[in-house]
Amino acid sequence: MDLALTEPQEMLKATARAFLERECPRQLLLELDRTETGISAELWRQLGRMGWLGLGIPAEYRGEGAGLLDTAVVYEQLGRGPLGGPHFSSAVLGASAVLGCGTEDQRREILPRIAAGEQILALAYTEPDYGWGPESVRLTARRDGPDYILDGVKLFVHDAAAATHLLCVARTGDGPDPTAGLSVFLVDRSEPGVSVRTLPGFTAGLAEVRFEGVRVPAGAVLGEPGAAWPGLSRALLKAIPVLCAYKVGGIEAVFELAVSYSQTRVQFGQPIGRFQRVEDHIIDIVNQLDAARWTTYEAIWKLETGRPAAASVHLAKAVASEGFYRACNSCHEVHAGIGVVRNYGLVLYTKASRSLYSYLGDPKFHKRRLADALEL
Amino acid sequence: MDFELKYSPEQEAFRREVRAFLEANIPPGLEEPVDPADLSYEQYLMRRELGRKLGERGWLFPTFPKEYGGGGLPMELAVVIEEELDRYGLSLPPFYNTGGTLGAPCLLVWATEEQKRYFLPPILKGEVRVWQLLTEPGAGSDLAGVKTLAVRDGDHYVINGQKTFVGSLHGADWLWTIVCTDPNGRRHENLSWFMIPADLPGISMTPLDLLMAGGEGGASPGAKFTVYFDNVRVLAFNLIGGENNGWKVATTHLELEHGGAGSIRRNRIVDRLIEYCKTTYRNGRPLSQDPDVRDLLVECYIDAEIGRLFNLRNYWLRHTRRPRTYEGPQASLHRKVSGLRIAEAIVKALGPYALTNDPTWDPSGGHLEVFHRASIVATHPGGTIEIQKVIMARRIGIGRAVREEAGTVV
Repeated sequence: MDLALTEPQEMLKATARAFLERECPRQLLLELDRTETGISAELWRQLGRMGWLGLGIPAEYRGEGAGLLDTAVVYEQLGRGPLGGPHFSSAVLGASAVLGCGTEDQRREILPRIAAGEQILALAYTEPDYGWGPESVRLTARRDGPDYILDGVKLFVHDAAAATHLLCVARTGDGPDPTAGLSVFLVDRSEPGVSVRTLPGFTAGLAEVRFEGVRVPAGAVLGEPGAAWPGLSRALLKAIPVLCAYKVGGIEAVFELAVSYSQTRVQFGQPIGRFQRVEDHIIDIVNQLDAARWTTYEAIWKLETGRPAAASVHLAKAVASEGFYRACNSCHEVHAGIGVVRNYGLVLYTKASRSLYSYLGDPKFHKRRLADALEL
Repeated sequence: MDFELKYSPEQEAFRREVRAFLEANIPPGLEEPVDPADLSYEQYLMRRELGRKLGERGWLFPTFPKEYGGGGLPMELAVVIEEELDRYGLSLPPFYNTGGTLGAPCLLVWATEEQKRYFLPPILKGEVRVWQLLTEPGAGSDLAGVKTLAVRDGDHYVINGQKTFVGSLHGADWLWTIVCTDPNGRRHENLSWFMIPADLPGISMTPLDLLMAGGEGGASPGAKFTVYFDNVRVLAFNLIGGENNGWKVATTHLELEHGGAGSIRRNRIVDRLIEYCKTTYRNGRPLSQDPDVRDLLVECYIDAEIGRLFNLRNYWLRHTRRPRTYEGPQASLHRKVSGLRIAEAIVKALGPYALTNDPTWDPSGGHLEVFHRASIVATHPGGTIEIQKVIMARRIGIGRAVREEAGTVV
C-alpha cells in the first residue's frame, strides 16, 4: 500500500499548480466566466502546448499517453482554478469515446486533432427527459441511402458552444434492450440543421442543441452502427473519476478560501474562526474534501490496475458531487456577504458545483447504479 | 498509488507461522461474544493466556523494541498478526488493555530508561493488563481539569480522588492514570501521569449500570467502573514523563486514542445489514428490493466506505511516519456520526425488528441490537463528537491563535 503520488506525479502536480497560478489569475477566470465558451483562444493554445489536450490519448495517436491517475492529478489542479472551458469535454470525455467506440482509422484521424486542440468535441447525450442511462437516449438517426438523418433535441450539453464537433449519441435501432441500437455520430457543429443555444441562468456552458434533419454520411458513425454502448459506457466509466478529481480540486480551493477568511475576518473582536459555529462549517468542508479525494483516487487505482471498478466509480461520483455542492454551501456560510460578491471568486466554484452536480449522472443516479453493483 | 496491502514472500511465510501458532493456541469459545458484556471470566482468562503466549514471542506488541519485550518487527509483519487474529474476531491485544495500547507508546516516548526497563516488559509480554484512567465526574471533555490529586511525600505520592467511566470486565493489574500534581499551578502545567499497581491499599471500585460499556479503541470493555483513590501511596518512581509535564504526555496518548493510529479493518455492520436485507422477506419480497430500503442501504454503504478509507489513510500516514494534523479526529468523528446515521437507517429499514435480539425474530444473532446501543454509547469514549471537532479546528489552524500540532507518537 502506498497512497502517495510518485515523484513524477508530484512534479506534474507542481507544474499544473504553477501554470494555474501564473496563467489563470482570478481576474482572468472571472472574465472567462462571462464568455460563452469559458476559455480564450490563447489559453486554449497554452493548454495544448502543455500537452493537456492529449493527456489520456495514447502516444500512437500523438497524445501524451498519460495514465488515468496522471490525468486526474492535472484535473485536480484545473478544478482548483476553477478553469472552465471544453478541455474535459474534448480531451477526456470526447477522446475516451473516440477511443472506446471508433475504428482504428477514425482514431488516427480524430485523436491527433483533439490533442493538438484543433478539433474540440462535446458529448451530446442528454435530452429533455434528462438521464445518463442508455434508456434516456431517444434522439433518432434514420438511415437514408448512404447517409443518416438526425432529428431531435439534446439538452444540457456541456461545452457545445465551444466545440467544433459534437458527439451525438443517437438511436439507429430499436428493441427491448436499451443498450442495443445506440450509435455515436461525429457531427460538425456548422452542419446545416445543427443549432446550439447556450442556456441562460446559473449554468456554466450548458446548451440546448437541436438536430433538425441533419444529414451525415454513414462514415460519421464511430465504429459499428448500433454497437456504441460497450465502448461508450467504458469511456464514461473512465472519464467520471477525472471529473471527480476536478471536483476534489474545487473543494480543496473552497476549503482554503474558508480557512483563510476565517483567520482574517474579525467580528466581536476576534477572528471568526474562533467561533465553533464557524468551525463546524470548515470541518464539514474538509470532511467532504477527504471523502471525495479518497473515494475518487481509489476508483482510479481500481480502473488503472484492471480491478472491478464500477461500484467505486459510482461511489466516487455520488460523494464528490454532493461534497462539492455542500462544501460551497458551507463556504458561503463562512463568508456571508463577501462570498456572493462576484469578484471575490467563490461564486465561480459554487456555479461549477451546481453545473457539474448532474453531469455524467447525478448522485441519485450513481447511488442506484451502486445498489445494482452491490446486487441489492 | 496503491490501495492494497501487498504481501511479500517473507510476509506469506510469516503468515503461515502465525496461523499455525494461532491454530495451536486458540481454544474454541474464545471469540468475541455478540454483546461484549457477556465475556465470561473463563473466556477472559483464556484470552490473557493467549496474550502471554503471544507476548513470549514478541507478538503482543510486535513493533515495539525487542529490548523491552516487544517483537522488534517491521509494520509489514505486525499487520499479518493483526489480520490473522482478525480471522478469529480478535484484535491485538486479544483483551481490553487501553493502558497498554495507549500507555506503552507514552512510556516509550516519555519514560526514563530505568522506567522503560521496569514497566514495559510486563505490558509487552502480556503479564499485566492495564486500564487507562482519564475521565472524572468533573472532567470529561475538559481533561485538563482533572482534580484527582497526587501530593509528594518523601519517596511516594499520596493520591486522592476518583475516576469514572473507566476499565472493563474482570479487573486490571495496573492503572495508567492522569492526575493533578499542582492544584495552584497553571492549566496544562499542573498534570502528571502515574502507572499505579491496582492492588494498592486505598483503591476501590464500583461498577456503573450503563446502556452499554463504550470502548475507547481495541477490544470492547464489557463494563465500566468508578475507581476511588483514598490516600493511595504510590512510589515516585511510578510518575512517568516528569512532574507537571503530564499534558505533553497526554498529547501522545490522545493522538492515538483519537483515531490517529488508523486501521485496516472493515466495520462489518453494514455487510451484516445488507445480508440481512437480502435474505429477509417482508410482504413477499426481500427487504433489499424495497426501493426505500435500497436507498438506505446505499447511504450506509457510502458511510462505511468513507470510514474505511479514512482509517486506511491514517494507517498509511502513521506507518510511513508522515505528518498528520486533523486526520485522527476526523476518522473518529466520522465513525461516531456515521454510527448514529447507520443505526437510524437500520430502524428505518427494519422497524422494531432492529431493536430486539430475540432469537425467534432476530436473524442477525443480536448484532443489530448491540450495534444500536453501541452507536449511542460510542459518541463519547475517547472524546465526544464535539471534542473531535474542537481538535480538528485547532489542527486546521482556526481554533486558536497558533496552529496546534499532532501529538508525538511512535
